[in-house]
Amino acid sequence: MDFIDYYSVLGVPKTASDDEIKKAYRKLARKLHPDLNPNDQEAHKKFQQLNEANEVLSDPDKRKKYDQYGKDWQHAEQFEQARSQQRQQRQTYTQGGSDDYDFSGGFGGADFSDFFSSMFGQEAGGRGRQTQFRGQDFQAELHLNLRDAYTTHKQTLTVNGKNIRITVPAGIENGQKIKLAGYGAPGLNGGPAGDLYITFVIADDSRFRRLGNDLYVDETIDLYTAVLGGERIVDTFDGKVKLTVKPETQTGTKVRLKGKGFPVYKQDGAFGDLYITWQVTLPTNLSDEQKDLFRQLSTL
Amino acid sequence: MQSVHLIPVRDFCVYHQVEITFVDTLVDTGLIETTVVNDTVYVAPTQLTQLEKLVRLHRDLHIHVTDLDVVASLLDRMESLQDQLLSLQNRLRFYER
Repeated sequence: MDFIDYYSVLGVPKTASDDEIKKAYRKLARKLHPDLNPNDQEAHKKFQQLNEANEVLSDPDKRKKYDQYGKDWQHAEQFEQARSQQRQQRQTYTQGGSDDYDFSGGFGGADFSDFFSSMFGQEAGGRGRQTQFRGQDFQAELHLNLRDAYTTHKQTLTVNGKNIRITVPAGIENGQKIKLAGYGAPGLNGGPAGDLYITFVIADDSRFRRLGNDLYVDETIDLYTAVLGGERIVDTFDGKVKLTVKPETQTGTKVRLKGKGFPVYKQDGAFGDLYITWQVTLPTNLSDEQKDLFRQLSTL
Repeated sequence: MQSVHLIPVRDFCVYHQVEITFVDTLVDTGLIETTVVNDTVYVAPTQLTQLEKLVRLHRDLHIHVTDLDVVASLLDRMESLQDQLLSLQNRLRFYER
């Protein structure tokens, strides 16, 4: 558990007035608010710290306690324990004895640091209406290969010890995010839970390249097939396809197979195209006779 | 026929501790839509995410309700630019291979 300097979080001196604290909070909140930084986890963390700092420094009692114990907040815990024991003794001996502390509970500290919870955890919500905070958003990455992304399938993710089963729709893009509302951290003081953002990271395939919904693949053919034409069986994600190679096919020639590309995201039955680029390979290790024949060809 | 569960705007306002006029202003500026059934104003669950986001922006950042449409529009543009950026990054990745 690290000590958090709430004054430096807000960027104000220890002598700052309530107004200065309020101003500093508002200025930073505008910069770091999760709704203004939907994909920035660092901003979310800083906003959480900022809320903590504001929660403590804008409340005179909490600020006093924080200022009193500061870095030595562990002693505050011991101090509170000692007071608590004294109170229990008082309650044992004094029937109906009142208590100057209001341990209302319900402050789970869910979205605050351990430091905050240890200092203010039990009494933080004791007075008046508490500010509701939306729970922190969680970010997760799901790594898929291109073939996984080709079909709609189910995946189980473990986020913060909780198993979540999701359906990954075919055609999802690399870097695409989906939001699972309410699967983030629980809200504070009855605030709504945060959301879970899953970013899909799709690894490159060794053969196929994807551009939007289209797939590209290089296929090699030998010189004789390129010159004379022929047939070639080509692998696609959808099975094997027999293709006719036209005579005198040049290297770099593209053939389009309509509807044999990648599925279009959330459009059942819609597919991109597959582009096959013929790469002509020249024969090597020619025999003398073959070389002679090429010479003859070249003089014809 | 599929039934839709609507949320009374009054309940939403009580839960989030905002004035009903706050939601009225959002409807007037076209940021959300409500439905009136038997003189009661309801909001569809599909609108809740947007509505709660606007409440948070209003409450956390003290953005005046009449300025929320500017903020919402800028956020939409930012999201659209982020989508474009992602698409261009994926194109670049294709040509870099």
